[in-house]
Amino acid sequence: MKTKITDLLKGKFIYLIFGVLAVLPIIGLPSYQFYMIERGMQNALVVLSLVILLGYTGQLSLGHAGLVAVGAYSYGIMCTILGLPPVVALIISPVLTAIVGVILGFPSFKLKGPFLVVITIAFGEIVRILVLNAVDITGGPYGMKGYPVLFSDTAMHYFMLILVFLATFGANRLSNSYIGLAFKAIREDEVAAELMGVNVRKFKLLSFVISAFLAGLSGVLFANLTGYLNPDSFASDTSAAYLLMVVIGGMTSPVGAVLSALLVTALPELLRFLQDWRMIIYGLILFIYVRFYQVINIESLKKLFKRR
Amino acid sequence: MLKINNLVVSYGLEPVIKNVDIHVPEGKIIALLGANGAGKSTILKAISGLVKPVSGEILFHDEDISKRSPDKIIRLGISQVPEGREVFPGLTVEENLKMGLYTNFKKGVYEERVEQIYSFFPRLAERKTQLSGTMSGGEQQMLVIGRGLMSNPKLLMLDEPSLGLAPIIVDDIFDKIQEINESGTTVLLIEQNATLALSISDYAYVLNIGSVVLHGLSEDIQSDQSLMSSYLGGAGGAD
Repeated sequence: MKTKITDLLKGKFIYLIFGVLAVLPIIGLPSYQFYMIERGMQNALVVLSLVILLGYTGQLSLGHAGLVAVGAYSYGIMCTILGLPPVVALIISPVLTAIVGVILGFPSFKLKGPFLVVITIAFGEIVRILVLNAVDITGGPYGMKGYPVLFSDTAMHYFMLILVFLATFGANRLSNSYIGLAFKAIREDEVAAELMGVNVRKFKLLSFVISAFLAGLSGVLFANLTGYLNPDSFASDTSAAYLLMVVIGGMTSPVGAVLSALLVTALPELLRFLQDWRMIIYGLILFIYVRFYQVINIESLKKLFKRR
Repeated sequence: MLKINNLVVSYGLEPVIKNVDIHVPEGKIIALLGANGAGKSTILKAISGLVKPVSGEILFHDEDISKRSPDKIIRLGISQVPEGREVFPGLTVEENLKMGLYTNFKKGVYEERVEQIYSFFPRLAERKTQLSGTMSGGEQQMLVIGRGLMSNPKLLMLDEPSLGLAPIIVDDIFDKIQEINESGTTVLLIEQNATLALSISDYAYVLNIGSVVLHGLSEDIQSDQSLMSSYLGGAGGAD
């Protein structure tokens, strides 16, 4: 039997996380720590997008940084060169990224097998090199700056909080929905799913498009947080970092994804006191975590608080 | 109900099914027998739309379904129970059963059907929320059959339901298959265990390397010792 405290918290773990995030600006953290938490929330959107794509549907993407770049740069370009108001750019950029998702997903899901991995790796590189060379539009290696941002610090924090909250709940709802069931059936057994009458290609594409939309939205937030875009921020190691976060978050758990994004983003900064040893210890911590995954899984932590 | 005329299916260049004719009349149990690699499963895949035939027709109620997609075929009332107990291992029993009704999901219909399945296989009711991958082989076989029945099919196709199961469980499963048939569902049964399949079926086709080499009433085939030994590995049946 569970104790009374966990009974009280059943199904409320998510509120706990968001509650803490909501009071953060009131506590008044030093600006750098605050910035890392903002980045963690922005990463959380990408990790949620991977929960849907990888966790639910079982499709692996190694180019999500490319999709985030599409969202970030299209926001920047729309605000500066096209002179659109930031709010319009905020809405159009994720949609544009979703359309890019259709263009990528359509040919890759025509084939059976791991073609999405290959195509997304290539896509990530193409985007980076394109950004690097289109100096007139993107600023290339000098970066892009001077575009307007949506909100100031505190307002931005709450705006992101709302978005991450909605995305978390949306992903949760999706998991238990009929579409989510089709996603999971595809993950478990494509042939059997097809036999049940699931249009495997259509649902894989849908999953990728939802995922691309969230990644694009995260890109817009990134552009707003940093006020400066540089192709280095969207290199392939960033895609790998997203993957790390989704695995640590338990793959299928939206709440785990948010927590994992916050922790893994903050971890290298928390370890800064170790100076030269920082990245070694960072790697070691992740290594130990993965080794004892079954024991200290965030998913299992979440189950403690789960309804039912 | 189902008529297959001159069916040719090939993987790559080599035809694996050569001019096969099969007739499945309504309300019967038809067995499709043959050794490994005879092409039994390929015929099922062609019927359910997973592979497209090179030529020939598959008529279901006089409609050619050979070029339709799997989701359209399942809507017509053809349901396949795949070989090797292909449950969705990471999904619960309930979710697996939901998948069986995927093309035509309505909450009321689902609840009614799922109760029928649970009363038919009480073991599944006990394990509603268990991940199906953690169940025993016999329970998984019950689940895939239950999942196949969720859409209330007119024709249920079973691919080797006895594969890798203990004899006592196989007897159970075959009793259930007969019950399903008696309640009005036509059954197309693929089996390697010829004796068992012949004992519950009305009519049987024997396949060898992609062609029908023999067909007849199940009891006639079963009583003809020479036929049994030449095509089906002796009177004891091939296990």
